[in-house]
Amino acid sequence: MGTTASQLGKDLLSEYQELTFLTKQEILLAHKRFTELLTKDEKDHQNTRVSMERILTLPELKSNPFRKRICHVFSTSEQKDGGLTFEDFLDLLSAFSDSATLEIKSHYAFRIFDFDDDGTLDRGDLEKLVNCLTGETDDTRLTTEEMRQLIDNILEESDIDKDGTVNLSEFQHVISRSPDFVSSFKIVL
Amino acid sequence: MDGGLQREDPGASYFRESLRLRRRPSRVSNQLNRDSSSDEDEEEDEVDGEDQARELRNTPFSMALKKAVRQAQLMKMPVVSSSNSWKMKRSKILRQLKSSARDVVGYLTLWDKTLQKIGGNFGGGVQSYFLFLRFLVVLNFLSFLLLAAFVIIPSIIFSRVGTSFSNTSETLNLCADCAAECMEYEPNPQGLRMFYSYFLDLLSGTHFMEYTYLFYGYYSNTVLEDRNFSYNIPLAYLLTAVFYLAFCLVCIIARMGTAARVAVVTGGSTVGNYSMIVFCGWDYGCLGDRATKLKQRNVLYRLQVDLEEEALKRRAAARTLKQRVLLYSLRVAMFFVALGLIIAAFVGIFEATNFSQENRQEEGFLSLLLEYLPSIVITAGNFVVPMLCDQIALIERYTPSTTVILALLRAVFLRLMSLAILLITLWQQITCEGDTESQNCKLCLYNHVDYPCWETRLGQEMYKLTLFDFLVSVAVLVLVEFPRRMVVDNWSNKLVQWFGRQQFTVPANVLELVYGQTVVWTGALFCPLLPLISVVKFVLFFYFKKINLFNNCRPALRTFRSTTSTVFFLMVLLIGWCLAAAVVIYSIAEIHPSISCGPFRVSSNIWSIVPSSILNLSEVTQEFLFFIGSQAFAIPLCVLSCVVMCYVIVLAAAYGKSVSLLRKRLKMEGRDKQFLVKQIGELTRKLQIPNSE
Repeated sequence: MGTTASQLGKDLLSEYQELTFLTKQEILLAHKRFTELLTKDEKDHQNTRVSMERILTLPELKSNPFRKRICHVFSTSEQKDGGLTFEDFLDLLSAFSDSATLEIKSHYAFRIFDFDDDGTLDRGDLEKLVNCLTGETDDTRLTTEEMRQLIDNILEESDIDKDGTVNLSEFQHVISRSPDFVSSFKIVL
Repeated sequence: MDGGLQREDPGASYFRESLRLRRRPSRVSNQLNRDSSSDEDEEEDEVDGEDQARELRNTPFSMALKKAVRQAQLMKMPVVSSSNSWKMKRSKILRQLKSSARDVVGYLTLWDKTLQKIGGNFGGGVQSYFLFLRFLVVLNFLSFLLLAAFVIIPSIIFSRVGTSFSNTSETLNLCADCAAECMEYEPNPQGLRMFYSYFLDLLSGTHFMEYTYLFYGYYSNTVLEDRNFSYNIPLAYLLTAVFYLAFCLVCIIARMGTAARVAVVTGGSTVGNYSMIVFCGWDYGCLGDRATKLKQRNVLYRLQVDLEEEALKRRAAARTLKQRVLLYSLRVAMFFVALGLIIAAFVGIFEATNFSQENRQEEGFLSLLLEYLPSIVITAGNFVVPMLCDQIALIERYTPSTTVILALLRAVFLRLMSLAILLITLWQQITCEGDTESQNCKLCLYNHVDYPCWETRLGQEMYKLTLFDFLVSVAVLVLVEFPRRMVVDNWSNKLVQWFGRQQFTVPANVLELVYGQTVVWTGALFCPLLPLISVVKFVLFFYFKKINLFNNCRPALRTFRSTTSTVFFLMVLLIGWCLAAAVVIYSIAEIHPSISCGPFRVSSNIWSIVPSSILNLSEVTQEFLFFIGSQAFAIPLCVLSCVVMCYVIVLAAAYGKSVSLLRKRLKMEGRDKQFLVKQIGELTRKLQIPNSE
């Protein structure tokens, strides 16, 4: 199970087609781009895990402010270092693909925004999220006062059970009202 | 893979919680999204195996886990019968066909990817401007095809074919009892001319450009009749022009209907705005550092603008009575100031047009300047007055969204009325202010001394306006925007930085487009190639504005909501259409056409060709047409229209009520949830059962 040396077997290909939202061409392209990241020795091993630094050299992820969180969320590595196997990579592309459903996208979006991995978005998570969105440098941040006001507004709008955090259902409730979330939550190779 | 499974626990628990609660609603919300294909097919598909596999796709498990679950499913699945496998194949083929059809449509749509990139980086407001521009390009192109098919190409064919057809040529249709002076028309004066005069002629549409297919004067009033084929060019010209205006009206209204529907459904709601920006605001398709920085700046500005507007609203609510009285009286005063400015601009345009018409005898560059004087004054007015109105708006201190709408309305009024004034002054000169006994107008019922072919003159004015508009925009882009960007980027002087980079102000740019389109509609009757020229102009506009946007602009400080703005732009365009329609109707019905040129040279007014053609039709058709025009038909039609309109209004009111009711229900739902959660908390505390969550 896992990637063979340089080509995907036909059964594996059809299995991937069934289990992800990707088309055959997209899976083959993903395989090509993934093997370009491997060194010569790694190409012979099966199930190689590529480190996060190398994954982040891909142009589609290089300048994304959420790149590190994306790698952490889709990684199945035991060391929690964000390294991805080919199958993790396919999971990533499937969630970000054109035909993925709102449900799967909102689920993964929630996990990406959950910076401390505790299952809810609390004030710290929201603050880090806003800083990622506006840019990390000093002159692109909101002032403390503005940030406080913004997070109060967000919690007032989305936190339905008033526990001070946004959980998955509340998050999906907000997302479902946006008409262009699905088209913007897209990464295509 | 143990570590992997353990890693999955959050995912599995997320999944279980979300899937059970959200299975049905997610299908509904997916259908609202119009984007997902798999769910719609899910409903049609009856085969279990496919369904299960697609549900498995929708789970947030890792690949290894999905494979394991799939194996388990396959063990349990019954053997696929031949009919079932045929159904599976059919549904798979249908799905592939659908996706490839969607790809083809996306490929053919003009500028699709560019528009998405603009929307992702600059927001919906700016994207709606470019969508509007694309709509105008398509509209003008279709209009040009219409005009070409029915007027230009037949004219070209018949002029080539010449007199080989029997019946009627130009000479037979000359006015028998018109004075000889009326028929004098010399667009190409003989003799030596300066070398640069060709360039001047290109810009003003005179001399070598005047007697071409570009202008009305070149078309002849040939009526060709062969054995079973007859083509009446004057009739075709008139009917095509009328149909062209009607076609544009239908397109605008249809588009306004779809846009209004979207606006009503999404409600333009300000609720959930901050959460929406923060959770859904990032475009993951942004590639490269520059696009990312651009998008980040956009998000930052949007958040800052909304926070600022909220702070303003709080301050406005806290105003004392004395402050309010002062503010309202200030607003009334500023309204009159703005009105005064606009009237001053009108007077300026009136004087400039008169001056330009009176001094047409100069030669060379001075003559070009005088010819363009009305356009120059109009453009200067359109530049200066909105700037002053912006300063006035600062004193008025309305909310930002109201300020934007007010600015747009004032600018619309100014621009379209200045065009109207230009046309009115031209008309007054052509018809000698209605005085048919004055010296110039006595012979031919129009001013044949100054305007031997007045329709061509009008066409030339519209041509000049279009060209000048375009040249000014390009000049501003090259001479102002790019240097401004370079100065701001390289010079860190405080004043320069406060001035900042150019903002892409959507309303001002939309106004330019509406003005240009109104000019095209007004001039199309007199200059049939004008839609083609405007197609080229708008296409070049698109690329110039796009380059300007990406290189020189920062995101606008005043965001314009995209859903309501599309409807607003189309409404403004409709105002322009009404002006153009009024001009065309007046020209067709009232003014005597030129005797020396054009397809209508023998009629007393342009419209009279229609009644005379109807008299040539068969008896039955004539009876039918007269019946339609009579009162016996019109009054019942009126009554029926009123009934239908009442019904539609009542229906719309009912829908509006149900939409607001549903919105209130949504708010209630939120409160219901809070209440239920509190109840659950109390109950668990009472029963002292450990919280299973």
